[in-house]
Amino acid sequence: MAAIELAQLEKTYPGGVRAVDGLSLTIADGEFFALLGPSGCGKTTLLRTIAGLEDATGGTLSIGERDVTRLAPGQRDVAMVFQDYALFPHMTVLDNIAYPLRIKRIARPARHERARQTGDGLELAELMARRPAELSGGQQQRVALARAVVAHPSAFLFDEPLSNLDARLRLSARTFLKRLQRELGVTTIFVTHDQAEALAMADRIAVMEAGRIRQVGTPREVFGRPANTFVANFIGSTPMNLLPATVTDHRLVLAAGSLPAPDHLADGTRVTVGIRPEYLDFSATAVPDALTGTVGIVEHLGTSSLVTLETEGGPVGVVVPEDDEPAAGAPGWAVPRPGRVLLYDTESGDLIPD
Amino acid sequence: MRRILGDAVVRHVLSRLLLYLFAGLVLVFFALPLLWLVLTPFARTPSFRIPAPSFTLHNFRILLDNPFALRSIGNSLILAGGTALLAVVFAGTAAYALSRVRLPGRDALLYAILLLSSIVTGTAAMVPIFLMLFQLHLIDNRLALILVLTGGLLPSAMFILKDFMDTVPKSYEESARVFGASPLQILRHVVAPVVRPGLATIAVWAVVQVWGNFLLPYILLQQQTKQPAAVIMYTFYDEGGQPNFALISTFSLLYSVPVVAAYLLVNRRYGFRFQGGIKG
Repeated sequence: MAAIELAQLEKTYPGGVRAVDGLSLTIADGEFFALLGPSGCGKTTLLRTIAGLEDATGGTLSIGERDVTRLAPGQRDVAMVFQDYALFPHMTVLDNIAYPLRIKRIARPARHERARQTGDGLELAELMARRPAELSGGQQQRVALARAVVAHPSAFLFDEPLSNLDARLRLSARTFLKRLQRELGVTTIFVTHDQAEALAMADRIAVMEAGRIRQVGTPREVFGRPANTFVANFIGSTPMNLLPATVTDHRLVLAAGSLPAPDHLADGTRVTVGIRPEYLDFSATAVPDALTGTVGIVEHLGTSSLVTLETEGGPVGVVVPEDDEPAAGAPGWAVPRPGRVLLYDTESGDLIPD
Repeated sequence: MRRILGDAVVRHVLSRLLLYLFAGLVLVFFALPLLWLVLTPFARTPSFRIPAPSFTLHNFRILLDNPFALRSIGNSLILAGGTALLAVVFAGTAAYALSRVRLPGRDALLYAILLLSSIVTGTAAMVPIFLMLFQLHLIDNRLALILVLTGGLLPSAMFILKDFMDTVPKSYEESARVFGASPLQILRHVVAPVVRPGLATIAVWAVVQVWGNFLLPYILLQQQTKQPAAVIMYTFYDEGGQPNFALISTFSLLYSVPVVAAYLLVNRRYGFRFQGGIKG
């Protein structure tokens, strides 16, 4: 069991590319922590630097209060699950799971016994004699997990653990992975580009962009109060509405309408208004403090629909319940729920505190 | 109309006939020596001709009585086995390094080695190699010969094996590294088993190369007790230059068996492939 602490951690490639740019971060003991970001944001490099597969070019990294910045990967007491699982194709499932113990020079009967126990816990008992090529994607993933679990490391590192599974399997694997992590209580960092995955599984999420962390917080914080427009854009299955506005007479004046403004903003301040489509209510009749336009495209999301309202200031997304779906071409009003309007500084893109 | 059609049929039949005739001739050309190889050892009066059907083991008696024949097969096995082993180990480690370490001009280096190798082990280098081993007092030394033979095979072997190594996903090795495996353990536990078909290919290829090599052992080994089969076969002529057919035919059969066996064994276990050491 161990906390992981990054202090000004830096990884610059010989070409001058800064993949990890002076990150400081503390991941608590037993925490399930997600590194989330678009491809190329440095999240995988950060994970590989923590594993020791990449050398940090600056800063320190400690796992369980032990400085491991300069240690070889094998001495860091971490286990990593790779995106392609990296199961050894010539070994049986049993030998694959037992491999970390073989490196630790544990005698064959003992390591097979432990591998079998771990495999049983992950529903692999029937598959022990097979080779990886004879397994389905989900089974391969469980073998890779078993191989990580059997080593009893102080931390797990998962690189896109679910991305090679098909969509339906991914959902059950998500639940499975979260339960496994809960039961073992081992500090876990996982990398993903899928915001839904991060929101569903993680205790805390770090949203990364270009080698820097843009926000660290619980899924609720990151979803409900994104710290800047980048996070606001990235998180959420439907993108957040970000609309330019100017403060006039204590009101936010948008192209599509006007909303009440908080008192502390001076007249003439230019802001970006951020409202999630899920936090907007649709009204077919005129209401005050609303954005107005005509109903454009309606996309079905299952129990709800995403209505795109064509306004003077561009499209605004509104999520409506499936029964209240408006007809295309009708006029519509979108009313933000109280406390759900976020204001961002137009220059810096940062959240303006209430 | 019908005549044109008839002409086409005749032409078609004729061209087929010519093709079969040609194929038949080629077949006979290649089959006759093989037939000789299989039949003559058991013939009562072995000669250059394909023997009339007869059966005797007398020729093998003559072979067993020859002091050098069987021993030379043993020598050939030592040379071929030793060279195959060294070639696989050296070429394997070198190819692994070349595949994983980013060197400037790596490909140019590989091609240069490959190109030079044909010169180094060719006939042109015989005299310098002989002189070098002579100065080092390594004439008549089997290990020295194995090293020279290995050196000749290494460039091509490295070239082929590097292709195999390139197909091993890096994540296999990284995964082993995170579990604490040393580079040598990674090579032994992960990389070598995955590229096994490639290693087997190189081993059999090395055996075949050494088995048929005449010039190098002829020059570098002078005691008849150490010479391999390819060289000893040359001594099966009497003083008048007449070949001893009883010896040559039986010996030829014996000489060809190990190579065919090695090929069949390896082909069965691994199958010969020149790329893709990964299943699934």
